[in-house]
Amino acid sequence: MAVGSFREFLGTLADEDALARITDEVSWDLEASAITMLANETDDRIPIFETVQSQSLETAARLVGDPYRGPQRRPWQRFARAFDLPTDSGPAYYEGVIDRLSEPIEPRVVSDGEAPCKEVVRTGSEASLLEFPWPYIHQGDGGRYATLATLVAPDSDSEWGSWSRHRAMIHDDSQASLLFLAGEQVPNRYYFEYERDDEPMPVALTLGAGPAIESTAEVWIPVGKSEVSFAGGLRESPVDLVDCETNELRVPASAEIVIEGHVLPGERLDEGPFGDYFGYMNGPRRSMPVLEVDAITHRERPYVPFCVEGSGVGYGENSTSTFAVAAGGPDATLGLRAAGFDVELAVPWPFSSRTVWVIATDRPYPGSLHELANFIFTTWGMLHIDFFVFVDSDVNPLNPRAVVEAIALHADPDTDFHQFGVERMPKVPLNIYQTPDEKGSAAVGTSKTKTAKAYIDACADGTRPAQSIGDRDAREQARDLLSQAGIPESAFEPSHTIGSNQ
Amino acid sequence: MTAFRTHLEFLRKTDDCCSLERPDSPSLQVIASEALRADGPTVRLGTADDRVDLVSGVYGGVDQLRRQVQYPWTRLGIGLGVDRDAAYVDVLETITDLGDRVDERDVTYVERAATATDRTVRALGFPTPPGETWPHLTLGLLSVGTDDGTYWTPIHGTVIDQNTIRARVPEAITDRFTHDDAVTVALGVPSEALAATHLLTNTDRLSTPIEDRGVGSTVPVIPTAGGVVPSSSEVVLEATVAATQPDTRSEKRAFWERLVDATTLTLEVSSVFARDDAVVPFTPLGVPLADDLQLAALTLAARLYDRVNSYWGVSPVEWLLLPAAGRLGICIVSTEVLYAGFEWQLSNFLFSLADCFDTVVLVDEHASPRDLGQVLGDIWVKAHPARDWLFSGSDAPVARLPTYSRDGTGARLYVDATWDPRWDEEYIAPRVSLAESYPPTLRAAIRGSWADFGFDADPDDVL
Repeated sequence: MAVGSFREFLGTLADEDALARITDEVSWDLEASAITMLANETDDRIPIFETVQSQSLETAARLVGDPYRGPQRRPWQRFARAFDLPTDSGPAYYEGVIDRLSEPIEPRVVSDGEAPCKEVVRTGSEASLLEFPWPYIHQGDGGRYATLATLVAPDSDSEWGSWSRHRAMIHDDSQASLLFLAGEQVPNRYYFEYERDDEPMPVALTLGAGPAIESTAEVWIPVGKSEVSFAGGLRESPVDLVDCETNELRVPASAEIVIEGHVLPGERLDEGPFGDYFGYMNGPRRSMPVLEVDAITHRERPYVPFCVEGSGVGYGENSTSTFAVAAGGPDATLGLRAAGFDVELAVPWPFSSRTVWVIATDRPYPGSLHELANFIFTTWGMLHIDFFVFVDSDVNPLNPRAVVEAIALHADPDTDFHQFGVERMPKVPLNIYQTPDEKGSAAVGTSKTKTAKAYIDACADGTRPAQSIGDRDAREQARDLLSQAGIPESAFEPSHTIGSNQ
Repeated sequence: MTAFRTHLEFLRKTDDCCSLERPDSPSLQVIASEALRADGPTVRLGTADDRVDLVSGVYGGVDQLRRQVQYPWTRLGIGLGVDRDAAYVDVLETITDLGDRVDERDVTYVERAATATDRTVRALGFPTPPGETWPHLTLGLLSVGTDDGTYWTPIHGTVIDQNTIRARVPEAITDRFTHDDAVTVALGVPSEALAATHLLTNTDRLSTPIEDRGVGSTVPVIPTAGGVVPSSSEVVLEATVAATQPDTRSEKRAFWERLVDATTLTLEVSSVFARDDAVVPFTPLGVPLADDLQLAALTLAARLYDRVNSYWGVSPVEWLLLPAAGRLGICIVSTEVLYAGFEWQLSNFLFSLADCFDTVVLVDEHASPRDLGQVLGDIWVKAHPARDWLFSGSDAPVARLPTYSRDGTGARLYVDATWDPRWDEEYIAPRVSLAESYPPTLRAAIRGSWADFGFDADPDDVL
């Protein structure tokens, strides 16, 4: 049975001995994030910081460093366990998520008494952001951050509002700046509706809402749909929502913390620089919309999960990169199939989350890859994704060696690399290949200079090199012998091709 | 010089060699292939009978596409005596030195460790690949003696009957002998000898006797009917070149055959010598991360690294890597960009030196060859999709290794994933990393408390 709350998720981690509960006093000022980054890089346990220096004794919140991080060779594994889906095979996990997302379940609204997030309620001047030990994550960051937060915002097209991930830089007890990049769903609504009408936009920043909710905040949802019903489908049970104290929004009842507030029209505060998901410190500081706090509700001794951004590139995994593989990938696969494309798997490149995606697909007709790339670049992939790599439909994009081999051996520089025009497309300003001048500090957050997008056709026109020798029985026999000699079974995954033990 | 069995002992001491009793099934090549694909350790397959022990993965495995404490050059580096935790460039330079021409011969002769045996080649018990009839020998060294000295090349082949080997050798060596001439096959040779044969073959430098190369003064040798061979060789086979050559051959190819032309040779073995408890390396052919592929990758990288740095007369290239995962179809080079256009010059220089790959990726001089994961991130993050992916016209010779089919000509691509040298320092985004994002005192304190916090991993692997 799938887990519902964040605390249940921590329970599944504890069951597999994947937690390190640190009782020594640890500082929010770089120390918690440094420990977390080292755990991320070494693929070690998830740290829970039970005692954080300088925190309010009254609140006594605990920090959790990158709780959603998956193992480096199987990033989906812990989500699979949480959702009661296949853990061993990445493609099988993807199909399980796709099945669940195909059957959304509407949420139910519960009373305050049934909502753990209402255990402590503070409104007005009693609600202070500074009660919580927001981590200072990297040297050089512009401030302390809430990085693993799901923002609940109004959506006139759906009953339950819109959920998405946006980081918040804490400024004082009542204000934070939100990273709102134009081109994303909620920021677009803010910039082009609320702010144009000079209206404050009510929002609720939730932390610790659990894996299903955080996953659906990561994925792309069609207009008119609501993330919460997909979260219900993912966990095969309705999500409990509860009314906010100060606005009309409804938030996950099991959340650890809910920060109610409104985004002030026409006002800006500095945001950044920040060590971002590209793995580099991103600058310059830019002006971003302001979250003004109206109320804070939370559980007793709440957990404050955070992500050490930038540690999910190269070999390391963190929460963001795991969300991309374990939630974004299945969602994109489903979305492309729903749009009529014959896609086996769509998976983010493991070494640089978001910028590159690998898609295993057939080529049913000439030009189909161009059409597919064009579809994504002009819809959900337009801001963050620069490249697609297409591989044969039976090649497993979750196997990095299979993808490197495909690019090295099957992509003809003359005919298989395709650019979409030259510098005509939008881009988030978080990238590092543009100069600060090109990135700009435009009020709505996209780059001042446009960029290019490209795709690589790494499908084989002819024979692919052998990946193994011997028939299936012989290979299984060999693996048994090698396992007896001390090679762990997990070393043989992920497979080079989809749907086989190759 | 490290004898092959000493090399294996070092691997065992570093927990990089596991042992199995040699099974009747599955085929040993299947076991070797699965171990390589799992990034597993070297696998030694022992036997209590007259057959030799076999070991796979001595030079192979480790694809660097996940964090490891070992690297593709670790096992060869140990064999070359560089270090147990060798710097990549040290391994490249050691390989290069083996192929250098020496001014004066300084050859050491040592008594042969292998003794005469009445066993046939067939009785030695080389493994038979699945679906094939004849046992294979791989990772061997062919020695050809002449009045000028001895020439070594790689050799692999099949054991046709009790004493007949049908072998593949570089075509260039066939100028050194005629029918009925004596040659010698050595197996289980020191890493220096095997690496040197691959280097000289890949660089088309088989024209100088081994006594006049660096390896000649490094590896003690013993004369045989077919020229000198390493004295510590585990198995030595003296043979004559058959008068008639076969008109068919196995389709199996060792990786060096993808870089140079090869030919088929039938050898009649006249004498078999083996050490007590002989152990011989072998590799499956054609599978990912195989030993012959890693030997080709490392020796070719050594050659290119040396040529590039020798050409400029300074050392603009920090390192150069041909990832085994790309089967030599892509070349990654780390360099300081000395001046505008340098990246173009360097990439095209590499294309002119090697015809196996069609893509060169340039990364900054601060990138580590140990952190291929970061390099594979930087390709996409630091290279502008419009400005930093540079394609040639389609009139270059088509590259050897990629599989796409073209009519003799093809294009080249280089990806410039370095910072633009025209940028002011303030534009250069610092990395997010343990070293750059946290002060040294904090890192040291965490290292000290790491185990007490409840973690298992070794923080020194990344700190």
